[in-house]
Amino acid sequence: MRRHGKFPWFAYLVVILGGVAMVMPFLDMVMSSFKGAGEYGVIPYKLLPESLNLNNYREAFSQLELPRLFRNSVIVTVSVTVSVLITSALAGYALAKLRFRGRAVIFRFILATMMLPPFLLLIPTFLIMLNWPLAGGNDFLGRGGDGGLTTSLLALILPFTVSGFGIFLMRQFMISLPDEMLEAAKIDGANQWQIWRLIVLPQTKPVAITLGLITFIGTWNEYIWTLLISSSDPSLQTLPVGIQLLQSFLDPDRTMPIVMAGLVISTLPVLVVFLVFQKYYVRGVVLSGLK
Amino acid sequence: MTSAVGRVGTLAVPARRVGKLQREGRAAYLFLAPALVFFCVFLILPFIFAIVLAFSDWGGFDLGTLKWAGTANFGDVLSFDGTFVKPILVNTLLFAFGSVFLATFGSVLVAYCIDRLAFQGFWRVLYFLPVVATVVAIGNVWKMMYQPAGLINGVLNKLGVNSIGFLSDASYALPSVTVVQAWASIGGAVLILTAGLKAIPEMYYEAAEVDGANSWHMFWSITLPLLRPALLFVLITQFIGGLQSFALIIVMTGDGGPVNATNVAAFEMYQRAFKYGAWGTASAMAMVLFVIILAITLLQLWIARRRGEETS
Repeated sequence: MRRHGKFPWFAYLVVILGGVAMVMPFLDMVMSSFKGAGEYGVIPYKLLPESLNLNNYREAFSQLELPRLFRNSVIVTVSVTVSVLITSALAGYALAKLRFRGRAVIFRFILATMMLPPFLLLIPTFLIMLNWPLAGGNDFLGRGGDGGLTTSLLALILPFTVSGFGIFLMRQFMISLPDEMLEAAKIDGANQWQIWRLIVLPQTKPVAITLGLITFIGTWNEYIWTLLISSSDPSLQTLPVGIQLLQSFLDPDRTMPIVMAGLVISTLPVLVVFLVFQKYYVRGVVLSGLK
Repeated sequence: MTSAVGRVGTLAVPARRVGKLQREGRAAYLFLAPALVFFCVFLILPFIFAIVLAFSDWGGFDLGTLKWAGTANFGDVLSFDGTFVKPILVNTLLFAFGSVFLATFGSVLVAYCIDRLAFQGFWRVLYFLPVVATVVAIGNVWKMMYQPAGLINGVLNKLGVNSIGFLSDASYALPSVTVVQAWASIGGAVLILTAGLKAIPEMYYEAAEVDGANSWHMFWSITLPLLRPALLFVLITQFIGGLQSFALIIVMTGDGGPVNATNVAAFEMYQRAFKYGAWGTASAMAMVLFVIILAITLLQLWIARRRGEETS
């Protein structure tokens, strides 16, 4: 705690007022999820529901096929996270510790990939998925089929399996691992794969947790791409998309509380994961800011 | 120690060393292979495709019907009779500028205040909560709070102010969405700025205190100048993020309405492409926005490099 300056009461005032503004929407979300038919959308506004009835949660389960949405969300999120962790650790090791021709060029290329904004690749990536060879009835030139890869959960996973940011993060961390340790393993006759697997990988635990968490939360919350892919095949919806689309086929005044119930359910897993590991997440954001 | 052993080895058998290097190179490319293959398929290929599409006339899905259109798409998109430059591109800039301004102002204030309180970790997590929530949660909760019977109008009515149609009134809709974007991005900025604040040596403040400076003076002449690198990073990354973000707008307004009041460039691109199948026009829009973002990124790199030369 810094002691310079003599107006901590002002600091408390600012931080608490701001804190209320941060928490209020979440509080309103939880409270509205308990509001019954005559309670929501009524003037004057009341924050607290009359009772903690769970009807909206029951409704959310029956309207939404929550188990299916949840399953899709878990499959996509876990696949992407595991894949990003492995590919980042592999590429990061090569860029940090191995000497080879083209290392500087490839590293600069990886940095450049982070500057390409995702929206620019949205249209072409969609068309590539649609014309993916030998998928969804396409021939080997990617023609003729019905939807290509866009009819499979793979469409939600493949475009996110590698992360330039992840490689960068791993490389920065691994570069500080002592060379002596790797040399010693080499003298003992270990090949590069064994060195990576048995010596380097166990040491990357802290940065792996950070990267895993950032990827997990980002993928769990991903919206635009999933909305696009699942627009022709609703069986591919994940939690955020399924809950959002609930609004289009229910009476709006009745829907919001049910949507809120669904959102509480879908936010809880991420919130728990975040609160347990928040130290690592915070560090990752700071690392990305101070590169 | 062990590296000395390695060096003795190289002096003795240089030929074996060359072989070892070659083997290391082969291993390196094997380690890099998944990433490189991925970037070819999901980065280089789509990037080239995006450029080709921007200069072509193509509807539907059969690549055989793709025709070269020169710069016609850009002419359409940038013509002043259309809607893309005004209001859409103007909205995009207002949305990005507005949210960055609010978020930066708020996060500097909050980070500076948190830095002098107890339980700093708790406060930072509190401000970071929106970053963890999905855009669907954020958008819907705020949409609900903005409604005539929602929380914000409820508070306004209590204060004797008439209800405002935050999302239905064309003159309020864009500022309303901008506030939400700022609210959602304040937490990340607070984290980075707090790290920046921690890096400022305590002795500067002590010296200023001896000289009789008050908090306000210290903030202006010590904190703000020394926070500049972190601040600049926050400003530029959030501005770039704001220019391309449209998920919040889909969730809150559905179609960028009322009447294009909240429509932004990336969303217009999305609609043109996936609602109307106008790949060429949509790609030209994407390219225009990309060039704007690229210019800002290069500006950031240039400023960072100039600063590097100053200090070294």
